[in-house]
Amino acid sequence: MSKTPAMAPVISVNKVRRSFRSAQKGEGLKGTFELLLKPKFTDHHALKETTFTIEPGSFVGLIGANGAGKTTLLKILAGLIPPSSGEAKVLGFTPFDRTMEFRHAISLVMGQKAQLWWDLPATDAFDLLKAIYEIPEDKYRERLETLSELLDVKRLLQTQIRRLSLGERMKMELIGALLHWPKVIFLDEPTIGLDVLAAEKLRDFLKTFNQKEKATIILTSHNMDDIERLCSRVMILKSGEMIFDGSPNRLVREGECRLRIRLKETFDIPTLSQITGIAEANITAVSENDDAEEDEDEKEESADSTAGGAEGPATIPTFYFETTKEAVLKILQALMGKGTVLDMGIEEQSLESVIQRIYADGVVSDKGEADVRV
Amino acid sequence: MSSASASPRGVRKFFHYEWRLAALKNGFQDATAYRIEFLLEVLGAALIPAAIQWVLWYALFKIGGQTTVGGLTYEQMLAYTFTSILFTQVRGGDHDFELMEMVRSGGLSNYLLRPASVVEFVYIRGLAPKLFLAGLSLLIGVLVSFFVDSISAGRMVAAVFLAVLGNIIHYQIGAVIATLSFYWEEAYAVLMVKNMVVQILSGELIPLNLFPASMEWIWKSTPFYLYVYGPTQYALGRWSHVEFMNAVGVAMIWILGLSILTHWSWRLSIKRYLSLGG
Repeated sequence: MSKTPAMAPVISVNKVRRSFRSAQKGEGLKGTFELLLKPKFTDHHALKETTFTIEPGSFVGLIGANGAGKTTLLKILAGLIPPSSGEAKVLGFTPFDRTMEFRHAISLVMGQKAQLWWDLPATDAFDLLKAIYEIPEDKYRERLETLSELLDVKRLLQTQIRRLSLGERMKMELIGALLHWPKVIFLDEPTIGLDVLAAEKLRDFLKTFNQKEKATIILTSHNMDDIERLCSRVMILKSGEMIFDGSPNRLVREGECRLRIRLKETFDIPTLSQITGIAEANITAVSENDDAEEDEDEKEESADSTAGGAEGPATIPTFYFETTKEAVLKILQALMGKGTVLDMGIEEQSLESVIQRIYADGVVSDKGEADVRV
Repeated sequence: MSSASASPRGVRKFFHYEWRLAALKNGFQDATAYRIEFLLEVLGAALIPAAIQWVLWYALFKIGGQTTVGGLTYEQMLAYTFTSILFTQVRGGDHDFELMEMVRSGGLSNYLLRPASVVEFVYIRGLAPKLFLAGLSLLIGVLVSFFVDSISAGRMVAAVFLAVLGNIIHYQIGAVIATLSFYWEEAYAVLMVKNMVVQILSGELIPLNLFPASMEWIWKSTPFYLYVYGPTQYALGRWSHVEFMNAVGVAMIWILGLSILTHWSWRLSIKRYLSLGG
């Protein structure tokens, strides 16, 4: 058995870049002919010079807006595409060599790409994976039992994949990806399209798997709950550049908070910005209807109450101000001078709002911390 | 160590046949998941071309008054048509199109990371229903051999074997062409043209005897005649054993050459894979 020195990085990425070349089509018929006869190509730099290392057993969140380069990075690390320049090593292997040993040691789950057989039950697909990865029968049975119980899909193993819900299919995909007990797991948006309960179940499972099996997991997600609840380290990519790499706690600076307030009067965000001096980008309005999941009965009740011609109660929005604890009093005073406060509270700043701002500004301080400003 | 490798598990590990068997099993289950669909596909593919050819030969011989065409009588022509149907069913499917689409759409990514050759995996998965049809063709052929003097059971077995070799060649050529999609993003037209050429030069539409002697070199210089024409000729006793063994030898050479070409074309092209989507 090979021994890895304590804390030797399981993944090391050194000055990795990746660009793609693609033909551009102009508008209309003229563009079609130009593409046919004289195509124009442009180079897109999906990943600019990126360097980092990841320790064994880490749970790392890779986040960024669409097109930030996170899936490209994941594909390089999994060995699907080579970097244009620089060097990547995973478990000591050059991923793009895709040696058999490397393939046995890693797994990639892409939320948008199904790998199970649509018309067959999951067990048939798992049997094939057992043969491909040469998993001994007893271990296979034990793992399948553990994984299907943890993910609560044991009763569905004999059901045709196409008859399963999206969440159930995703869980089966995950089982298929983990049956060979990989040392490094790449998860590309595993909770995409899942309902709250299914996503929660999947997160619990991933956390348990990471802790029990000491597998290194790298996860990309647009769902900040995934990152907040699972990852001890976050890497943020913007336009192919790593703009943050550290603990999620470091993103939220000390003393920063979120002021929640409901006012009797109706104000729009620009007005509130004028009154309080808080930038518009740091004020969000959430109306109750935005979040509420009304069931049919509630809808019917609401219809009944307005049937008599009377207008339904106007929705009072809740405003959130991203600010500092010292500034709260000043903001409240300013607002009370212009209206009546119905309800208020101070909350911890959400990771989502911090990241939203980083996507927008992309400013990172010298210490590697996001420069979150009011 | 040596005892371990000589054990059944050692043998299994050495030949890695377990995943191939599992892929074959799943491929068959997948193809037959919808029984009626599967049967209609097989019957449609077999009966419609046969019916068209029957009408054509009937028009030529019975209405047109021909006694022989390309040296074949009406009865010989019909014998060719109905025997060739069996081998047409065995000839390669459209798994090369599947490979091309996987490259284009990024679906290949799911398979590239598994410790098994993706080209082989796609072939074996698609081979399962073809092997079933080969078995069925063999059964029909052997049954017919009891009633038709010109067909022998032994020749039928050998002819199906040649048709299976043709199936391998067909996929290998498709797999090489599919690598064009790494460069052009699309190889549909090339694969379509290949299939059209195969339909003519494999002998599944017309017997290759109909080609004038001066043009024989065209079909003889491709391996396509090994798919349908060769097995049919041998099954009907129109090829000698020597001619058959020659054909098997030629098929083996094609398989070997194409194996090398497939290996290298994929090894080179995969560097251009973009893994789109996701």
